Amino acid sequence: MNFELNMTIADLLFLLPEIFLTLWLCLVLIVDFAFPRLPKEQLAYLSVVGLVVTLGCLAWFDLTHISGALFGNMFVLDRMSIFFKMFIIGASILVILASIEYVNRFAFFRGEYYFLIVMSALGMMFMASANDLLSLFVTLEFSTFGFYVLVAYLREDLASNEAGLKFFILGVFAAGLLAYGISLVYGETGKLVFSDMASAPATPGLIIGFLLIFAALGFKIGAVPFHSWIPDTYHGAPTPVTAFLSIAPKGAAIAILLRLFFVALFTFKPMWVLLLAAVSVLSMTYANIVAIAQTNIKRLLAYSGIAQIGNVLIGMAAGTKMGNDAILFYLLTYLFANIGAFAVVIAMSQAIGSEEINDYSGLNRRSPFLAFSMLLFLLSLAGVPPLAGFIGKIYIFVAAIKEGLYTLITVGLVNIVISMYYYLIVVKKMYIAEPIDPSPIRISGPMKAVVYVGLAGTLLIGIYPQPFIDWVVSATMMFSHLPAPATTALPPIPPLGG
Amino acid sequence: MGDYALLYILFAPFFGALALIFVSNRQTLLVRGIAAGSAFISLIASLYLFYSYDPVRGGFQFIQRFEWSRQLGISLYLGVDGIGTPLVLASSILLFAGIFVSWHIKDRAKEFYIWILILAAATIGVFMSLDLFFLYFFYEMSVIPMYLLLGMWGSHTKKYLEMTDPEGVKQRDSVGFIFNFGSNSKEYAAMKLVLFLSAFAVAAFMGILLIYKYSGLNTFDILVLREHANLMNIPVLGTTLDKIIWVLIFFGFASIAPLWPLHSWSPVGHAAAPAATSMLHAGVLMKLGHFSIIRVAYEILPETTRELMPMAAVLCMFSIVYGGFVAYYAKDTKYVIGYSSSSHMGYVFLGMAALDYISLSGAVIYMFAHAMATGMLFSMAGWVYDQTHTRDIPSLGGLSNKMPFISACFVVGCMASIGMPGTINFIAEVMIIVGSWNKYPLQVIVAVLGIVLTMAYLFKMMRSLFYGPMDQKYSHSHDAVAFVDRLPLLIMISVSVGFGLFPMHLYNVVRSGVDPLIAKITHVVPVAELQAPEAPATSLHEQLAARGAQLPDSRMAQ
Repeated sequence: MNFELNMTIADLLFLLPEIFLTLWLCLVLIVDFAFPRLPKEQLAYLSVVGLVVTLGCLAWFDLTHISGALFGNMFVLDRMSIFFKMFIIGASILVILASIEYVNRFAFFRGEYYFLIVMSALGMMFMASANDLLSLFVTLEFSTFGFYVLVAYLREDLASNEAGLKFFILGVFAAGLLAYGISLVYGETGKLVFSDMASAPATPGLIIGFLLIFAALGFKIGAVPFHSWIPDTYHGAPTPVTAFLSIAPKGAAIAILLRLFFVALFTFKPMWVLLLAAVSVLSMTYANIVAIAQTNIKRLLAYSGIAQIGNVLIGMAAGTKMGNDAILFYLLTYLFANIGAFAVVIAMSQAIGSEEINDYSGLNRRSPFLAFSMLLFLLSLAGVPPLAGFIGKIYIFVAAIKEGLYTLITVGLVNIVISMYYYLIVVKKMYIAEPIDPSPIRISGPMKAVVYVGLAGTLLIGIYPQPFIDWVVSATMMFSHLPAPATTALPPIPPLGG
Repeated sequence: MGDYALLYILFAPFFGALALIFVSNRQTLLVRGIAAGSAFISLIASLYLFYSYDPVRGGFQFIQRFEWSRQLGISLYLGVDGIGTPLVLASSILLFAGIFVSWHIKDRAKEFYIWILILAAATIGVFMSLDLFFLYFFYEMSVIPMYLLLGMWGSHTKKYLEMTDPEGVKQRDSVGFIFNFGSNSKEYAAMKLVLFLSAFAVAAFMGILLIYKYSGLNTFDILVLREHANLMNIPVLGTTLDKIIWVLIFFGFASIAPLWPLHSWSPVGHAAAPAATSMLHAGVLMKLGHFSIIRVAYEILPETTRELMPMAAVLCMFSIVYGGFVAYYAKDTKYVIGYSSSSHMGYVFLGMAALDYISLSGAVIYMFAHAMATGMLFSMAGWVYDQTHTRDIPSLGGLSNKMPFISACFVVGCMASIGMPGTINFIAEVMIIVGSWNKYPLQVIVAVLGIVLTMAYLFKMMRSLFYGPMDQKYSHSHDAVAFVDRLPLLIMISVSVGFGLFPMHLYNVVRSGVDPLIAKITHVVPVAELQAPEAPATSLHEQLAARGAQLPDSRMAQ
């Protein structure tokens, strides 16, 4: 197999956001080294500027429908990859803004922190465009590389070191599985690009290979039974890194999973629907039950994240375009609610130096704004109207019911009730319990901005979701060939007032 | 306002809550003013709605429709029929009264009003939704504010505070405690309420999703679904699909009603809740259950309703008797009223189960009437609690000396709750009893005994609260003298008595909603020009006469 790299300058347009961000990344690093006395928050704002420009460029791509493929289909720029890139960039901007204050805790390398965040974001942007097994491997490792460092950034903190080690060992193990799976698949099919494999016969080697790849991606999204690194890593990592880890890699890995299942493996749909259904039920049920016992808010959010992935997999198991729309929509709602919740956790950890749920007692009296925001974020994660998470869940359930996935929906609905319990326990601490130390809590400006963005997203998507639904529907145009469930044409609307 | 009346009613409280976010908690008067103002807009608009609803034309009126999501087939589709209209009115009356009942709230008053406005607006939203999605949306939305209202401003029960843990270990909230119904913390009550209602709500939502799936119409529009959804005779799991959907919907919504044996969250919640929340909770939140069953199960699955509704007729007896007996033996004022509410909701189920023009109209009117009566009782129980700091009935007594106005109103409240002629409750009770006698004589006998039981426990409570010797420690308690304190009671009493004396418009409105529904379910043609009671003194007689005229029809149908 030979690659023909007869690129033109025009082709490089497709890579414009990545190229720009790479250059900007170097700029951030150079500024950090060249001006060591520069306050580090300036670097944060510098990185945010670069990310915002990238976001603008992607929005331009999205509006003008620029799309194409590069390097013999290794890299595709379609509307879905644009969606995920915007998702990742958006998450990065919010995380950087939320970490400005937190970074002062690091003894060393405060400037490189921003570099590493943007570098991981860059890796994940490539991941969103990966369209063959090689680029899958390279981009996945590229994005994880930054995280290995970031997770262990609190050098004096044993928990952070442990988290880094655990994440690294398991991450490398997953990478090994991935490489082995890729080699099996390539050995069986002789193909690397996803779309070329569509008609491959189901040989045992191929199935094992894909299972291994799924395991590696399952590790990234943190689905049960590949979740064991999540609680400890989330707990030990610096909180802004946890926030980033809980959002962006999941989005990027979901993008790859969508391509893998719907492009490469669509002929095996009956098989992977069962696989996804089993993983989804396990994720939701296990995570929601274990979350009840958590006393640390980061661990609680870690388990809640595992459960949310279970919900996402319901949408994927539906195996229709509508299911994929619902997944993208759900991730969008999850982005705002989860980043918002972590922003409150970061603000609290700056103010009281603790991440124990008990220390949230009486938050409503200490800072009504933070308590109210946290309430809305948690309720959105639980799926309570009129918040975004509710619409996300309903969208997924509607997509799934059209395919008749009754068991999955029943498990999902029961899990909403279970999850409500542990979210409400946090609400109980914040609102009902009396504060131990009634001093008011102050929040920094950028942190407030992040919380406001989270609130705006959570409420806006919940109350007026149509523009967002339109966006995700157009983002999954590549799946429009999938068979749609049969619906009778809607009869004419009866005369009003009758 | 005209056509936009529904939007005013629904969004005035929401915008009030939104405005309150930007007001400081220290500006007490402004906070109360905004809350009362937005409730007042809602009240005025729903009075307008009620009196300009045209019962002759019937059907859904004041329709508002906004496309919300094309892909999912959801639109914000609002409209009221004869069943929704009185309930919307009851909600906004109780909201307005509730704002004044909680006028003296000190702790985090702003947040209290925010949550109570959201609670009431969500409740109102259910009563006017013509889209299954929004029905569930508002239903679920009304549950969460209850958690905060109970948890933040509620109170523990007396026995809970007396529970001692010998080793100083926190054992109050242990597992065994769950079965200890007499002594609960407010946190427990709040959590139980939310989880219980959410658990059943998702069951109902499963039913809604099944309707959505099997209708194949890609819409949640109730009016389209009731015309075009064909859900009958699809075999599933050894039974038919429509039965499964019906059972999911019925029990999902009956939990909030609350139908025995799904009632246990309710009295616990009532006891923990602050007065205004109890009023809304018992007054309108519980009616969400009946209303949603009527709106979803009756409208979309009429045949199945006819087949399976006798189940409710059996369960409602247990509701009436069980609730009544527990209320008789309860020692806590709010438990008594709470169990009396869940007992009285059994009447509504009886009226619904009989599937008769008179009885279903009676059930709807009873929901309205009960909202007023129980609202009065809860607000006065709240007043007594505020003054004496106890809800323990045996330790109270002789308060009528100290609070003559409250005790006089309490007598009226009890009368209304019992169903004295002159109050709207009487008319409703008579209609339920008369309407269901043909079909369920046993249940009617139980219901009449239930009325006797109601008298027993309400008189018992009234006697030990307001008459007899008074403990000297309550000598500092005082009456409701200020205008804002008397206003809510006067509103509820005048509504209850006013409609009791002039029920005709209410009756016509309700009948216009009930008639097409029952006609569709039972295929019995209503007796034309059926006369409703003009004055309570003759209503029983006239009802019986009307019933006699209808008998041949129903026999023919059977």
